[in-house]
Amino acid sequence: MKTIFHIDMDAFFVSVEELLDPTLKGKPVIVGGKGTERGVVSAASYEARKYGIHSAMPLRTAQQLCPHAIFLDGHMHLYKEYSDKVEAVLRTFSPLVDMASIDEAYMDMTGCERLFGPPLQAAHRLHQAITDKTGLNSSIGISTSRLVSKIASDQAKRNGILWILPGTEANWLAPLEVKRIPGVGKVTEKQLATIGIKRIGDLAQLDEKFLMDRFGKLGLALSGKAHGKDAGGWFDTEIGSNDDPKSISHEHTFNEDTSDFTTLRATLVRLCEKVMKRLRDHGLHARTTQLKLRFEGFETITRAKSLADPTDIDRDIVDAILQLFESNYPKGRKVRLLGVHVGQFTTTTPQPNLLTGQDDHKWRSALKAADKLKDKFGQDTLHLGGALKGIYKDRVHEAAPKDPIRKPKQ
Amino acid sequence: MEFSVKQSDMVRELNLSQGVVEKKTTIPILSNVLIESGDGMIHLTATDLELGVRCSCPARIIKAGSCTLPARRLLDYIRLLPDAEVNFKVMDNQWANIVCGRSRSRIAGMSRESYPELPAMPPSLGEIPAAILSAMIQKTIFSISSEESRFTLNGAQLLMTDKALTMVATDGHRLALVEHKVANPGVEGVYKTLLPKKAMQELLKLASDADEGAAFLFSGDDNHLFFQLGERLLLSRKLTGNFPDFDRVLPKTQTHQVHFGKDEMKTTIQRVSQFSEERSRAIRLQFADGEMKVFSSMSDTGESEETIAIDYSGPATDIGFNAQYLLDFLGASAEGAFSFLFNEAQSAGEMRPAAVRDGDKKGGEVGYTYRYVVMPMRI
Repeated sequence: MKTIFHIDMDAFFVSVEELLDPTLKGKPVIVGGKGTERGVVSAASYEARKYGIHSAMPLRTAQQLCPHAIFLDGHMHLYKEYSDKVEAVLRTFSPLVDMASIDEAYMDMTGCERLFGPPLQAAHRLHQAITDKTGLNSSIGISTSRLVSKIASDQAKRNGILWILPGTEANWLAPLEVKRIPGVGKVTEKQLATIGIKRIGDLAQLDEKFLMDRFGKLGLALSGKAHGKDAGGWFDTEIGSNDDPKSISHEHTFNEDTSDFTTLRATLVRLCEKVMKRLRDHGLHARTTQLKLRFEGFETITRAKSLADPTDIDRDIVDAILQLFESNYPKGRKVRLLGVHVGQFTTTTPQPNLLTGQDDHKWRSALKAADKLKDKFGQDTLHLGGALKGIYKDRVHEAAPKDPIRKPKQ
Repeated sequence: MEFSVKQSDMVRELNLSQGVVEKKTTIPILSNVLIESGDGMIHLTATDLELGVRCSCPARIIKAGSCTLPARRLLDYIRLLPDAEVNFKVMDNQWANIVCGRSRSRIAGMSRESYPELPAMPPSLGEIPAAILSAMIQKTIFSISSEESRFTLNGAQLLMTDKALTMVATDGHRLALVEHKVANPGVEGVYKTLLPKKAMQELLKLASDADEGAAFLFSGDDNHLFFQLGERLLLSRKLTGNFPDFDRVLPKTQTHQVHFGKDEMKTTIQRVSQFSEERSRAIRLQFADGEMKVFSSMSDTGESEETIAIDYSGPATDIGFNAQYLLDFLGASAEGAFSFLFNEAQSAGEMRPAAVRDGDKKGGEVGYTYRYVVMPMRI
């Protein structure tokens, strides 16, 4: 039987902002951008949540609900820094840590009793250590599965710890609403409601086969989850197993749709730069790249290209993306969103090139230095020349996948 | 328009146009071959706007004129006719009646009005013996990059001086350079141009059909290159852009030189590379005192090694290569021996042909320059 912790930082972005500016405490604070801008809420303080504001809500809606809220752009590199600090604390407790996103993590604490005591005591120590090292509040859920631990940490909020004793999972889950189950969104909730299922307990009563017939694979996962088991999707994977991304992408929605060629090009360069930085953080090389263009009116096209050799150098992706852009963008058409995506990763360093070998070497050294600076002083410390006219404010999301603390390269 | 030709003449010349006519019918008329009457002959023209071929065959002209007919269908049909006189009669509505013996067919053509005009060949810059041009192409064409975005690498660079002709191709992983002494006193300085891969393939076809000692007349205008062999003309749009500075890439000094028999090395690599990873085709050349081991392994599925006795006393060196790259050179090189030059495992290796003299692999001069530079692999 396993002992799994789920650690979830309380209102993470807002709490970091409060550390920087204590006067924000106790006020409705919204991170994500100005209330008049396009885009969505990345994080909201508990005071703002009282007005019905939640993450992923359009900023303009949030503004209507709570006109006196304080809107902040956010400081992504600081959040990452704090997230790294939290991760470092977690790793002193267990080697099996899975940062599910920038503000939450799963830990496998099985067999750590002799070091840190029984689960509840270990959790108290961990909770205290996080507060000591970062000044931030967190909530911890403990159980024998990732799923129950995640639901438990949610129920433990704010700043609490909740241990679901082994054997009591199903009973504890029974009275909770089905939407508490990760993976059950508005649509599934509605579908379940039509057959009279409101509570997790109702769901647990149902026959596995019935759910399977009605919802397919999702149904099978639902049945397992209702009994407190890790089932379906990423819940099936082991904590600490290698889960390098399959692809990396960045997108940018313009505040105003634009057809300005210079801005579009520069924004693409900026997106490439961000994608490639993350690629290098993972120690990977990409073989394919893809451009995403969304026009005014939401018509969206994607165009992909395979590279001759896998690469981790900005130049190669920028060249490919700009080529795709120039041959697919109908000049004058207004663009709402641009996206850059890289995929088909390899971990091996590409074969040296006869023609570009010397340049490649120079690029790699320069990018290595640039990456170090960005890690230390933030993403906006320095840019490719071509990106300078395309610097936009980063929109930040708590659910965004967390990048690894830089991996040592082989 | 009306004319008669010999079936075999028509088939031979139509064959030359097949590599050039547009396969995708974005512009329908480019799938057609243009036929124009001349003095006791007809001229055939095919183009895809990148390449153009113009050739002729003797004909009895009954009524002068011109027409365009579907190239593929025409050849497929004429090829099946007996070797006899074929009569073409083109109607005003662009349909052609084709009669040969008891076979009668009608085929829809298109008016020549909408057929693109090919540029005329400017005065010749010089002559290139067909055998030499063909050999140079065969020794470089495999090094051309298939990566479309690096379009300056999608062809070979051709350099012409009053004394020599040089052809270079590279894809970034290997580079092939051939230089022959070809005197063209009319050339001033260096005439430099980029020849697309497809044109090189068509030139090979033209040259394979050439008489011994025949030579191409060569010239170029701002956008095109022209190669004329007898009555046949191939023209190609030039590739634009800058070919990389290959002088910078050619190794200046190589510390070690080892001599091999070509066939011995070729069969060895062929055997050992059966056990290389499909994607990388990586093999290792392990040089040691008096011998070289060719070694390859596939994780968990097999491995192979073979030893060749060599005259070498340098430090033990282990270099990884793509087996296919080495085989490409060994397949193209005409001589029985070659030398392999290298510094160390991280820098480029080089292969040069050598003539076998009295069974001696060191052999001697081959009368021309052929350098093949290959980047090593990290393995």
